[in-house]
Amino acid sequence: MRNEKLTISGLIIFLFFSAVNISPSFADEALSVSGRLELRGVEALDRDSMKEDPSLTGRIKLDTTGPEWRFHSWLEGGWDGSVKRQAQDHSLFKNYDEVYQSNTPYLEFKELYVTHSSGVLDLRAGIQRFAWGRFDEYPPNNLLNPWDYTQFLRKSLEDRKIGVPSLAATVTKGEWTYEAVWVPVFVPYRLPLPDERWAGTSAVSALAQTIPDVELTPKEPDLPARTGKNGSVGLRVKRVGDIEWALNLFHGYDPKPVFRTTALSIIPQGVSIVIDPGYVPDFHKTSVVGLDAAAIKGDLSIRAELAYSFNRYLNIRRELWGYPTVPSPGILPLNPIIEQKHDTLDYGMGADYRLFEDGLLTFQAQQTLTFGDVDLLYERKIETILWANVKIGWMNQKIETNVNVAYNPEHGDRMTKANAWYVFSDAWKVGVSYVAFTGPPLSLFGRFSRNDQVEGEIVYSW
Amino acid sequence: MNNLQMRNAECGMRNYPLPCGERTKVRGNAPHSKFRAPIIPNAACPRMILSGELSTPNFARWTLRLLLATAIISGTLQTTDAHAINGREVYEKVHEVSLKALDHKIEMTMVLFDKGGGKRSRTLTSYSKKADPEAYKALAVFKSPPDLKNVGFLAHAHTFSDRDLWAYFPEYKRVRRIATSSQDDSFFGSDLSYDDFTGPPNLDDFKFSILKEENLDGKQCYVVEVTPKTHRKYTKYIAWVAKDLWIQLKIDYYQDKEIYRSGAFKDIRMIDQIPTPFQSEMENKKTRHRTELTLESVQYNTHFSDDLFTQRSLERAGK
Repeated sequence: MRNEKLTISGLIIFLFFSAVNISPSFADEALSVSGRLELRGVEALDRDSMKEDPSLTGRIKLDTTGPEWRFHSWLEGGWDGSVKRQAQDHSLFKNYDEVYQSNTPYLEFKELYVTHSSGVLDLRAGIQRFAWGRFDEYPPNNLLNPWDYTQFLRKSLEDRKIGVPSLAATVTKGEWTYEAVWVPVFVPYRLPLPDERWAGTSAVSALAQTIPDVELTPKEPDLPARTGKNGSVGLRVKRVGDIEWALNLFHGYDPKPVFRTTALSIIPQGVSIVIDPGYVPDFHKTSVVGLDAAAIKGDLSIRAELAYSFNRYLNIRRELWGYPTVPSPGILPLNPIIEQKHDTLDYGMGADYRLFEDGLLTFQAQQTLTFGDVDLLYERKIETILWANVKIGWMNQKIETNVNVAYNPEHGDRMTKANAWYVFSDAWKVGVSYVAFTGPPLSLFGRFSRNDQVEGEIVYSW
Repeated sequence: MNNLQMRNAECGMRNYPLPCGERTKVRGNAPHSKFRAPIIPNAACPRMILSGELSTPNFARWTLRLLLATAIISGTLQTTDAHAINGREVYEKVHEVSLKALDHKIEMTMVLFDKGGGKRSRTLTSYSKKADPEAYKALAVFKSPPDLKNVGFLAHAHTFSDRDLWAYFPEYKRVRRIATSSQDDSFFGSDLSYDDFTGPPNLDDFKFSILKEENLDGKQCYVVEVTPKTHRKYTKYIAWVAKDLWIQLKIDYYQDKEIYRSGAFKDIRMIDQIPTPFQSEMENKKTRHRTELTLESVQYNTHFSDDLFTQRSLERAGK
């Protein structure tokens, strides 16, 4: 692992200096540096919920632009108040080797790449995030970046994405754009530790609540080998016109978390009990063919997405995992097969509608159809998510408010978010947010039903 | 059949070479067929009456013709006496100046003042290109504040009234199509509208009428009332158009009888023989919020490549 960290550090240095040196005019071009500091405090509204300390995080973006070469870096880091104990093998920089990386303080390159443009071709190499598809939330064609679930629904879609080392080639010719992406190394998704605030309810977290002085120590999985064949590839062909549309192809590891079982281990150690929950993240390849489109119809800006996934692995119902109803010390083997392979079809539509000046309604309806016999942990045969956001700017956008509701009718679970931002000046703004979840524990939103919270933020930008 | 021929046919005057109505031919300085002559409605078309088969004796018919002709000529003379040109013609000249300014790169600063004294700034670069036959492409990219840095706005106008609009927000990494119904909305919190940042409007979508001539800041102006034919945020605007420069020096937007937005355009400098206001101010009379716009640098006749006005370029902040 030390070697890989050295490799990444070397890559960073190489990218920066190659960008500066390759083009003689590069260093003469404008260097742009911008940044942002955020101080955040969270008040958990559920008495049983894990408390959170204030967080101080920041980001620095650096851009240099030349006639052909561009360098961009986005470094993020700080003290994360949601982390209560460091994950094992703590390192300052977030890396691509571990699923559990709850560290504070931390640093992470969200993006770090160099771009070469000539004629119709853009070549970009480095740590990148991609935004394929059209949906604002849960886009089924946006698969090249795994997600960081450590503060899952609190963060915006783009903040959840983990930048991946990749090579992208884009050819733009008239109305057509062809984009090919190769992610040569496997990058896992990130999960919170089972006793963290955004882990949601799970069998093991419920178990832990029944036993005092318990320490949950999930094991890191063995990652797929870092070979070329374990990389991911994507191809996107887009056409601009009255109806803009794109065809998306993806082949690589499914960014959606799924687990395999090992053995439940409950070991008393002095006054405390150490529990290995007996499941580890698993990784499987999938192939996805998708379409997305956007058009204007009257006052509506409409978009749509469709994605067919082949061989997607999903977990079966938790009752079938083999957990004991009454836990006792010792090592208990669990059901070795808790994954099922299914094809799925995601489809949906969304739109922006201008309600009035500075008042915008954005709504989206999408369904996931899972083929075959379905007896799964969260997913039913058909899963629907209805999502809407009303954004209003007040006093010439000095105040911005958002009210956001997501509803999953199959489980009856719901998420409600509201926030308001007041812009003091070009540099300073303050915001307050509220989020609430309702629904059964084994549902998308219901599993966070103890995560209702009010959050205050002060942001300084330069 | 061009617009004039079509209108003449509607008037039933195809065989009559003489003028019908206020204007008789498309002027040489009208750059596009869209700038057709204003035509008086059929019911008021004198040619129809003059050529009509009125069943009166010859004398009476000629007397009537003479009276009608006198009335028409005197009416026309009254119009031309009052003002050398009509409201539409004023705006055709304004339009011509706007067209010349379409090929540009402009660096500008917007300062937003709220009524409590609060101040916010935005700097942006506007690129534009005229495209044949009567369309244009425009790109605006913010350089500051940090929250808006590299946010961009792209317009492709197929005609002056048919536009495709896109916005790019780097935070979301997505180019988003925008419905044109937001054209009168505040442009990123300022008192200017999205429409103010795109090209000239389609003159056929408005009615024009000269109210008076007036001196404003030492410049002789036509004061023109402009009424949109389609639903807009404003019911009309009154503009002070400088006679020698053919640009607006002042503009008051009305919602029914009340002014809701008022703008002034100052520090006019000639750049490549195009009059350019380097200082503008727009105030919302209802909220007392105002925006000052200062042009930092102006380049005309830039003849940018079409590649600058693509989604690819929008995502790259025009670079």
